[in-house]
Amino acid sequence: MIFQKLKNLNYLLIFLLILLSFIGAAGLYSAADGSYQPWATKHLIRFYVFLLMAMVISIIDIKLIYKYSYVLFIISLLLLISVEIIGVLGKGATRWIRIFGLSIQPSELVKITIILSLAKFYNDIKFENIKKISYLFFPFLILITPFIFVVIQPDLGTSLSIIVLGIFILFFVGIRIWKFILGLILSVISIPIVLQFIKPYQRDRVISFLNPESDPLGQGYQLIQSKIALGSGGATGKGFLQGTQSYLEYLPEKQTDFIFTLIGEEFGFLGTIFIIALFILLIAVCYFISIKSFHSFGKILALGVASNIFIYVFMNIAMVSGLMPVVGIPLPLISYGGSVMLSIMISMGLVLNVDLNYNLKKLNNA
Amino acid sequence: MFYSEQKKQITTYNRRTFFLFLLKLSLFSAVGWRMYNIQILDSSKYKTLSKKNQIDLEIIFPLRGKIFDRNNILIAENEKVYDVYLIPENTKSINNTLNSLSKFIDIDFAKRRKIIELTSKVKKFEKIKIFENISWSILEKIETNKYNLEGIFIAEDHLRVYPYKEVFSHLLGYISKPNQTELSLPFISKMPDLDIGKEGLEKSFNPLLVGKAGQREIEVNSKGRIIREISKVDSIQGGELSLSVDLRIQEYAINLLKSYRAGSINVINIKNGEILCMASTPTYDANKIIKKPNKEYWESILSNSLSPLTNRSLQGLYSPGSTFKMIVAIAALKYGVINSNSTHSCSGKIEFGDRLYHCWKTNGHGKMDVTDAIKQSCDVFFYETSKKIGIDKIAKVAQDFGLGQIFDISMPNQKKGIIPSKKWKKTTLGESWYAGETLISGIGQGFVLTSPFQLAVMTSIIASNGKMIEPTIVKRKNVNFKTNTKYSKEIKIIKKAMFKVVNENKGTAFKSRLEDVKFAGKTGTSQVRSISLKERESDEFRKKEQEWKNRDHALFVGYIPYDDPQYAISVIIEHGGSGASTAAPIAKQVFNYIHKLDL
Repeated sequence: MIFQKLKNLNYLLIFLLILLSFIGAAGLYSAADGSYQPWATKHLIRFYVFLLMAMVISIIDIKLIYKYSYVLFIISLLLLISVEIIGVLGKGATRWIRIFGLSIQPSELVKITIILSLAKFYNDIKFENIKKISYLFFPFLILITPFIFVVIQPDLGTSLSIIVLGIFILFFVGIRIWKFILGLILSVISIPIVLQFIKPYQRDRVISFLNPESDPLGQGYQLIQSKIALGSGGATGKGFLQGTQSYLEYLPEKQTDFIFTLIGEEFGFLGTIFIIALFILLIAVCYFISIKSFHSFGKILALGVASNIFIYVFMNIAMVSGLMPVVGIPLPLISYGGSVMLSIMISMGLVLNVDLNYNLKKLNNA
Repeated sequence: MFYSEQKKQITTYNRRTFFLFLLKLSLFSAVGWRMYNIQILDSSKYKTLSKKNQIDLEIIFPLRGKIFDRNNILIAENEKVYDVYLIPENTKSINNTLNSLSKFIDIDFAKRRKIIELTSKVKKFEKIKIFENISWSILEKIETNKYNLEGIFIAEDHLRVYPYKEVFSHLLGYISKPNQTELSLPFISKMPDLDIGKEGLEKSFNPLLVGKAGQREIEVNSKGRIIREISKVDSIQGGELSLSVDLRIQEYAINLLKSYRAGSINVINIKNGEILCMASTPTYDANKIIKKPNKEYWESILSNSLSPLTNRSLQGLYSPGSTFKMIVAIAALKYGVINSNSTHSCSGKIEFGDRLYHCWKTNGHGKMDVTDAIKQSCDVFFYETSKKIGIDKIAKVAQDFGLGQIFDISMPNQKKGIIPSKKWKKTTLGESWYAGETLISGIGQGFVLTSPFQLAVMTSIIASNGKMIEPTIVKRKNVNFKTNTKYSKEIKIIKKAMFKVVNENKGTAFKSRLEDVKFAGKTGTSQVRSISLKERESDEFRKKEQEWKNRDHALFVGYIPYDDPQYAISVIIEHGGSGASTAAPIAKQVFNYIHKLDL
């Protein structure tokens, strides 16, 4: 049974994951000035441990996952809140919690459980009820509760991606477009209220994004440096380990949020397009699994995960190329960092699971 | 019905899946287009930017704070100097550059090797300091020939300078690069190349004097040339320090001491505790330590057996000799062992246990009361007296008068000295106290060890009728010291005796008296070796010129004017002979000088 399942796993998806993580390791090797320490080795070890975990998730009975979707959401929400409380009790804001020797950002996990909860919710209700405003209340609650806790952390990037993720899923299940427009208008009206939550440094980020030259040494400085590194890479790049900008320590967080810049400098336009193409392929595979699935739970789940990955990748590349403010979003499987890797691999395990169970007609509480 | 609902749902899913995928694809296209713009279309622009664009962060060292004497005369300042730097990247060959440079400045083989070694250790574009503090003539030559000197440039620096050279060295100390342990101090760790105070006030006031570093962000091209300054935060010069010391008195004291091999003079303003003079010889010139190369000078200091680095005023320990007799007398009067009329007869020696204890006057002083005993410094009187008080009470009084103590005057490495007691001997030597040792201690010999500065403080307390003088090295406004009334009666008697020491015939310092302003004091002569009976009996002994290191230390403590004491002094001349013949005349000169200054 288990071997049968393992045999039927979507190995194209797994191959794409392995390829991306190796590209990440190469970038991290270069970021450390041609050394496996301190990032590249750890990156690969994490990847393989989490890949194993993803495969375990993929063979769990999907009914079990379906059954406990809300419970998992509540658990991840509690983790998120506990980070908040620890932050208040301890010294200053924190986004991390240590579990089993791993620093975990509950806000990353919460995105997965949001997808699960919304998938379960829309799997359960009748199609005609989707139109009803009253049925929007519960999904709204699922989205807005974690959103608030992430905003006050404050984590601009993640809170933004939670909202975009919610819009993608709600759109997918058939919510009318005018409702999104209404929601947009309502949120624009509520911006003054939100601004009270936003800390001065976040406001500075937005301002510096709008005019990078105004603050050449702050956020704008990072953007200028990032663009110089990317641009000087040209069509084919300076070659592996030949990047100069990154070595000269001009780029902060080059191993996390700005790893794409480093790769772009060393491998040029070819390298960056190749990575974008790989992610498009990865997302397309998830879409394919979504279309293939017979049940709404699987469809929504696979599409939600695809959207989540899309948001990461798009925001990160838009950020380092100066299309978006520097909000601190990593590039999945390539940036260094265990938390995002963990959440991505959990979600990949779920998609693999959906893929194995595509032919189930309907999932029910019964 | 159910079926059609499901079909509708599937249709919605498929339509929206398609739409979402299209949306994501177009958004990816947008970032792809963006990358195309940056990496293909604008690539040449960014390539030139990337070549130029190296941003360096330069730390601007703060100027060290100035130090003034009490009359705002600069005694520590910073002088502009010029250093020669080499940037290896800018030379065609380091050897060629050094060859050209050697026409103007002497580069020996060792120096050349060191420079080349250094260049291999740092990054090519980093500058290396190869010469410090070059002379004007060399500066001119290098500047006029700079086009032939690739990779060489000159930069301004500041050198700590002490205009009065050796006069304040023991007080101020000097500065130097921090060592490994000092690098862990928070304000130093960020600037490992910044000199910090290593001794004296430079050390203890380093946090005040060091100032705050600034920084400069500069964009440099690949040649290391500065293209523009991005930001600059100026450094803030360290705070200023005004000492209580008077340059004139300090300089005068140092010059007096120069006639002897080693000694110390300390002057305290009794009214407010300000230290006006803390002179110690032999001394050193801190400028020569700071100015590199200093190896030769260091070696000459370290090989000097008189150890010029020691600040004798605070770190030199001597038997106080007869200057200790005031303490014994106060203790004796206080604890009722004697009164002002009690007398002892001095026959030149007394026997105690199985030993003879000699008075400095071989034939004896005759009948002595406490005033006479201090005036003529009769040893036998104090043998008899201390025998009766016991060592512990003497120690108690000595402590009350500042002996055996360290003072809160921001001077590092003060020595406590020894004020012996029964407990002290038990704990440090593990032996019990012998009564004979009390006799020896009673004339300030034996275990008793004090620093010259402690004696000055002791004298200040006596002169001020028991005020708890808190000395200071930093200029001070008026203060009110608490008065310890415990010894008021006793001090009065002692002060009368101290007046007679200087101003009455037969007083040990009578020859050193001043006519227009009268001072009081006490001489002391402390033995550095025991004198054998045979030597004592031969007349030749006193006349004979002793070997320098076997000669007695000469001491004098005193205050002026006698009726309203303003200044206290302690003088010690190492192996200077007797206090009366050597130390007292020096005190007289200093007092006379201060009096004429009319502060």
